Amino acid sequence: MRSSMQGATAHVFGAVAGICIYTAPVAALAQEARVLILNGLDPYLPAYLAIDSAMRASLAGETARRIVLYSEPLDAQRFAVESLEPETLALLTKKYRSLHVDVVVTVTKPAFDFFVRHGDRLWPGARLVFHGLPDPGAERPVVPPDAIGLVNRDDFRGTVDLARRLQPDARRILVVGGTSPLDSELAQRARQVVPPLAGTASVEFLTGLPLPELLARVAAEPADTIVLYLSQFRDRDGRPYLPREVLRAMSDASAAPIYGLFETYIGSGVAAGSMEFYEDRGRLVGKLVRDVIAGKPIPPGDAVSSVPSRCVADARALARWSLSERLLPSGCEIRFADRPLWRQYVWQIALTLAILVGQTLLIVALIAQRRRRRQAEAESQARFSEMVHMNRRVAMGGLAASIAHELNQPLGAIYNNAAAAQILIKADPPKLNEVGEILNDIKQDDRRASEVIARIRQMLRKTPSSVEDLDLNEVIGETLKLLAPGAAEKGVSLHADFEPRLSKVRADRVQVQQVILNLALNAMEAMHEQHEGERRLVIRTCPASATEAGVSVTDSGAGIDSSMLPRIFEAFATSKPSGMGLGLSISRTIVEAHGGTMHAENLPGGGAKFRFTLPFASAGAA
Amino acid sequence: MTPTRSMVHVVDDDDSWRTSVQRLMSAAGYDVALYESAERFLAAANLDAPGCVLLDVRMPGLTGLELQQRATESRRKLSIVFVSGQGDIPTSVSAMKAGAEDFLTKPVDTDVLLRAVERAIARDREERSRREQVETWRSRINALTPTERKVLDLVVLGKLNKQIALELGTAERTVKWHRHNLMQKLELQSIAELVVMAERLGLIGGERPHSEAG
Repeated sequence: MRSSMQGATAHVFGAVAGICIYTAPVAALAQEARVLILNGLDPYLPAYLAIDSAMRASLAGETARRIVLYSEPLDAQRFAVESLEPETLALLTKKYRSLHVDVVVTVTKPAFDFFVRHGDRLWPGARLVFHGLPDPGAERPVVPPDAIGLVNRDDFRGTVDLARRLQPDARRILVVGGTSPLDSELAQRARQVVPPLAGTASVEFLTGLPLPELLARVAAEPADTIVLYLSQFRDRDGRPYLPREVLRAMSDASAAPIYGLFETYIGSGVAAGSMEFYEDRGRLVGKLVRDVIAGKPIPPGDAVSSVPSRCVADARALARWSLSERLLPSGCEIRFADRPLWRQYVWQIALTLAILVGQTLLIVALIAQRRRRRQAEAESQARFSEMVHMNRRVAMGGLAASIAHELNQPLGAIYNNAAAAQILIKADPPKLNEVGEILNDIKQDDRRASEVIARIRQMLRKTPSSVEDLDLNEVIGETLKLLAPGAAEKGVSLHADFEPRLSKVRADRVQVQQVILNLALNAMEAMHEQHEGERRLVIRTCPASATEAGVSVTDSGAGIDSSMLPRIFEAFATSKPSGMGLGLSISRTIVEAHGGTMHAENLPGGGAKFRFTLPFASAGAA
Repeated sequence: MTPTRSMVHVVDDDDSWRTSVQRLMSAAGYDVALYESAERFLAAANLDAPGCVLLDVRMPGLTGLELQQRATESRRKLSIVFVSGQGDIPTSVSAMKAGAEDFLTKPVDTDVLLRAVERAIARDREERSRREQVETWRSRINALTPTERKVLDLVVLGKLNKQIALELGTAERTVKWHRHNLMQKLELQSIAELVVMAERLGLIGGERPHSEAG
C-alpha cells in the first residue's frame, strides 16, 4: 500500500518536471532580449569588427534568453551627425516605435552622446552599455544612472616604457598625430602625458603633416629615435586618411621604430605597444550586456571600467628595426613570429626528437645486441664443435695404444706371410698353391688395417654434423672394436647386450661413437681400482619408449661420488687428476642436440650407470 | 728318444697372425702348434718335444705375462718369446725379468723372429738335456745304500777317508769300499765330476752351514 503511494507520488513529480522542461524554451522565446548596437563611427573599421565578433561570441553563450542584435551606425567621423539628427531621429523613431529594445550598446562618444540626448524617447526602458569613450585621463566620466560601460585607457605610459625598454639609448621621441577631432583629442592627451615619461629623451610632436612630408620627416630620423604613432584620420589640409594606411607608409619609410597604442596597428607597421585587445573588450562588453539582461545590480563604482592593456609586439617589425625580442617584458605577446616551426614548437619538437632519437638508439642497440648475440652464438657453436673435436682427439689419444695394437696385428701377419711366401717360392718345386693362399691372406689383412685407419680417420676428421638413419647396434659394435684392445689391456671385460630388433635412430654416426667412447673410457677409468676379475663394462641397447632408443653403459666401479653426482655433466667437473671434465659434458650436449636425454645414477650394488636416449628415425615404429 | 724336429707353440688371439706364423715356421722347418688363448695352451699344449712359445702379451682372459708366471710357479720352465702388438717398456722389462728369452714387437723382422725362435729352442734343448742329466743323476743317487749316501755327502764336503770313518764309526777301509761302490753306481770317474754333480743337484749348498758350524 505504502509503496504504491510512493510510486504514485513519484509519477506526479515526474509529470511536473516534464512540463517544466517543456515550457522553459517557450518562455524564453516569449522574452527574447533585444540589443541594439549603436556605433558612432563606421562599424566596419577593423577595431569594431574585432570587438563585435568577440562580443557576439560572448553573447552566444547566453542561454537563459535568446538575444537578438540590432545595429545602427552613425558614422560621425565622416558625416555631420548633428545636422542630420532630425532625419536620423525620424527614421529611428519609425523603426523602433513598436520594437522594445532591452539594451543599447553605444560605441564611441558620438553614439554615447546621441543616446544621452535621445535614448529615452527612442528606446524607452532600454539600459545603456557603453564602450569606446575616450580616455578621460584623470577625470571621472559622467554617465547616466543605470548605465555601465568601458572607457578607453590609452596606455601611453606602458607604450613609452616599452619603447624605451627596447631602445634604451633613444635620444628622441617623435609623436605623430592628425587633425580630426579624434586625432586632436588623442594628440592633446599625448602632449600632457608623454613628456613626463620621456626621461632624458626630447619629445617632438608632428600633427597633421601631409603624408609625403610626414614620410620625408620620418625617413630622415636617425634609427635610435622612438616614433610614437597616435592616429591620423585627417591632415592639416583636411585630407582624409585611414590611420592604418598612414602607418603602413610610415613604416616603410622610417629608419626609426614606430610604436602605437592600438591593436589594429599591430601587423600594419608598429614594432610594439601596450594596448587593449579588442577581443578582450568585445568579451567584456558581452559580459556586461549579459549581466544587464540578467538584471544584475551594478555595484557602485563599477559603472565605469576599462580593459586592461597588454604588451604586444610584431616580430617582423622588431626584426626590421633590429630590436631584440629578449628585451620585451615577459608575457609580452609576439605576433607574426615568422619563426620556423621548430622554434614555435620547440618543446614538442625536442620531445619528439628525443623520443625518436631514443627509439633509434634503442633499436640500434637492440640490433647491435642481436648481432653480437648471433656472433656469440656462432662463436660458441664453433667453439663447441672445436671442443667436441678436441674431445674426440683426446679420447682417441686414450686409445692410441690399442690402435697401435690393432694396426700391428695385420701388419705383423702381412710381414710373416710375405716372408713365408718368399721361402715357399724358393722351394723346389715352388709351393705356389700356398703362396696363393698367402697372398689372399695378405690382402685381407691389408683391408683390415685400412679399416682400422678409416675408423680412426672418421673419428678424428672435422666433419660437419651429418645426421642419418643409423643402426645403433652396428654403430656401437664398431666403437667396441676400437675399445676392445684397450679394455683387454686394462683387464676390463666388455659385454654387449644388444636388442636385435632395435629400430634405426636418426643421429650423427661419429658423434654417437664419440658419446659411447667417452662413457666407456670413463667407465674403464672408474674401475681402475677394482680387482682385475671384477672390471665389467656392459653396454646395452633397448627401446626406451615408443619414440626413443635407449643405451646404457654400466660399470662395476666404485660409483660416482655423491657430491659430484648432481653436477657430473657440468664442464670441468672431474674427479680424475688428468681429465678436463669435458667428456661427459660434451656427451650430454651431443645427445641433447640430437633430441635425446642423458642421465647418470649409482647402482645399489655398486658401480655407475649412464643412460641416454636417441629418437627413432621414424617415431612410433617398434 | 729325442725328436729332431722342434715345436713352436703360437699363443695369440689374432687368427691371421697365428696362421702367418704357422706358415713361416713350417717353411723354416719347425712343427707348429696354435692356441687362440693362454687357457687353451695350458689345457692342450704337448710339451714333450723341445721347442719354444711365441706368446702374445695382451689377450682376452689370461694374459701372456700371467701365463709366464703360472709356468714358473709350476716349475715348468718354458722358453718364451713374447711377441706383442704394442710393446711398452715396463711390460717388456717384467717379462725379461721373469725369464723370457726375448721380447719382440709386431710386425717382427723375419730374421729376428727366426733367430729368436732358434735361440729359444736351443735354450730349451739345453735346459732339457740338463734336466735329463739331473734326472739320471738323481735316479742313480736314489740307487745308493744309505751308508753310501752318507759317505757321498761327506766326500763332497771335502772330508778325508779317515775323518769320514771317524764320523761314521767304522774303519777307513770300509769307507774306501763304499766310495769305490758309489763311484761305480754313479758312473763317475773322478772326485771332480762328483763335486760338479753334487753342485748341480744342490747337495753342497745345504750342508755348508753345518760344516762352518762344525
